[in-house]
Amino acid sequence: MKPENLLNLSSHKCTTGCLTLDKFLSGGIPCNSITEIVSESGCGKTQISLQFLLSAQLPISHGGLSSSSLFIHSEYPFPFRRLHQLTLSFLSSNPNVFSSSYNPLDHIFVRDVQSAEELIGLLAQIDRFIENPPSPLPVRLIVIDSIAALFRSEFDNTPKDLKRRSSLFFKIASMLKLQAKKFNLAVLITNQVVDFIGNDVVNGMRVGNLGCLYTSGRRVCPALGLSWANCVNSRLFMSRNVEIVGKETDLEEPIGGVRTRRKLQVVFAPHLPESSCEFVVLREGVFGVDS
Amino acid sequence: MEVCNLPLSPSQRAKLVSAGYTTIFSLSSISPLDLARDLNVSHNEAAQILKIALQSTRFDQSINNNASIVTGGQTAWDMLREEQFITRITTSCEDLDNILGGGINCQEVTEIGGVPGIGKTQMGIQLAVNVQIPLECGGLGGKAIYIDTEGSFMVERVFQIAEACIEDLLESRVFQQQDYQACRERMQPKTFLTNIFYFRVCSYTEQIALINYLEKFITENRDVKIVIIDSITFHFRQDFDDLALRTRVLSGMALKLMKLAKSFSLAIVLLNQVTTKFTEGSFQLTLALGDSWSHACTNRVILYWNGSERFAYLDKSPSLRSASAPYSVTSNLWNDELCHPYLWAHFKRSIMLLGASSWLTHRGSFRSVAV
Repeated sequence: MKPENLLNLSSHKCTTGCLTLDKFLSGGIPCNSITEIVSESGCGKTQISLQFLLSAQLPISHGGLSSSSLFIHSEYPFPFRRLHQLTLSFLSSNPNVFSSSYNPLDHIFVRDVQSAEELIGLLAQIDRFIENPPSPLPVRLIVIDSIAALFRSEFDNTPKDLKRRSSLFFKIASMLKLQAKKFNLAVLITNQVVDFIGNDVVNGMRVGNLGCLYTSGRRVCPALGLSWANCVNSRLFMSRNVEIVGKETDLEEPIGGVRTRRKLQVVFAPHLPESSCEFVVLREGVFGVDS
Repeated sequence: MEVCNLPLSPSQRAKLVSAGYTTIFSLSSISPLDLARDLNVSHNEAAQILKIALQSTRFDQSINNNASIVTGGQTAWDMLREEQFITRITTSCEDLDNILGGGINCQEVTEIGGVPGIGKTQMGIQLAVNVQIPLECGGLGGKAIYIDTEGSFMVERVFQIAEACIEDLLESRVFQQQDYQACRERMQPKTFLTNIFYFRVCSYTEQIALINYLEKFITENRDVKIVIIDSITFHFRQDFDDLALRTRVLSGMALKLMKLAKSFSLAIVLLNQVTTKFTEGSFQLTLALGDSWSHACTNRVILYWNGSERFAYLDKSPSLRSASAPYSVTSNLWNDELCHPYLWAHFKRSIMLLGASSWLTHRGSFRSVAV
């Protein structure tokens, strides 16, 4: 056993593909670490995950990982059309990086899982896949969309089931961290939210920078509770709020005088301070808005 | 004691034995003149032999005196005297140092627990940097071992904290001009980084193996003054169906850590997670790893939110009373408007002394600790 030299320890990041968001995240999502994005549905977490699948393919000089990626999804259907759309804009916004015959879709591997056991089974043999990927680029990014869907149905709200559930959380997290360490992977996991119901002491407890999480005017908390929060290294929260727009013109097209403001916030991260960043979801992808 | 154990030449020993002097006791009441005649040696040589024999008996007696107490035993008075020389590692937060009696104690095991995002890892990194504050600046000038089980250790963050620490040291000291330059050159963030021995651990077996190996490692690197395990918990929250086995493994580990702290006079800091415990039909918050684990540490500090402020609460200590103190996690790089370029900024003085009010008895809320 030898200590690692901190000066040689790489802290690679995978770019988001947007300068403003990169600045907010201090370069993107870190390798050898688990980053979680929490939001209600329709906020843009799948959008940003898809974007990472593409930006990971950028060369390291462009902030990417020069890698292929693995997308594990538990929510259906897989948004293939949207990915295709993003691919086209990805290629046109990075014109001189790739050769004309390069197809980003060749370097994205998609797999569906339907239960936590299946995910564990997959993770147990994933190193064989990562060592010999069916692509010339090495695999450096794993996206799981979403973790909550795997745990929604099977478990009762009894102490015994909760204990079994949290043991599974730690198992999944430790397997992911092991692979992340071994292959220097960036791991991105999305998570859903549940409504906060008054007097719920455990869920109401403050975790991270934000006292309460609000989205669409409701108070919510990340699904899977406190034990899962212990499993991830960084947690980001995406919120969406509808505003009635007055006379000012804004970035997004006002639809009937109403516009949606989306915000990305750092709940906790070992390397990021408490901060937030507004973003928009456009045809070309997810972009941060300079405040 | 036998004559043959005396530091004499072999010929002298042989002469003593053949003349019938086999034990030191037999030499105790004899004059040099008689001995010279019996051994057929010079008077001087005989006197020399008796002198050596006398010294050995004295030495022998002093050993016997000590052995009357159990070996390694110490009187309370000695311990009190020794305690005055125990060094402490500052947390960089004055209030927190105050409730800890000056900082994290060397020779002791301190556990720090709290919810995700409260700043456990930040605290760990800060201590790994602070242990390196040079002696002339009031620090320990030691090195750190950082055992990372969760993967939350970020080198870029260590670099920032080291930079902030250096800035603060240079600011707080009045230097002569050349002194300042010399210090500036000597204290580089890079040096701080190379003085942290970083181990990444990916399973509980690896964790146990590493802790067993620590003794050897520290023997080779005597200047290690702190061992931080971030976190002690992570690998023990899966795969353990047999909780009795887990308890045994954990307490074995705790014993080894305590022994390390004592024998190398270094601080051991264990970071722990928070979990919910199901009692009397409701969920309560508690530090992970169960009740028996709570005996494993000498000191226990709980970090919690009080409104939007972070507080630290000294929950267990053999010599200090329970108290809480506010702290904050800041950064010189991101928050320019913050007055203090420091991680754990010095907050307004507000140490709240608490009575017996326990953190656990208040259902699920750390908050109630602050009166």
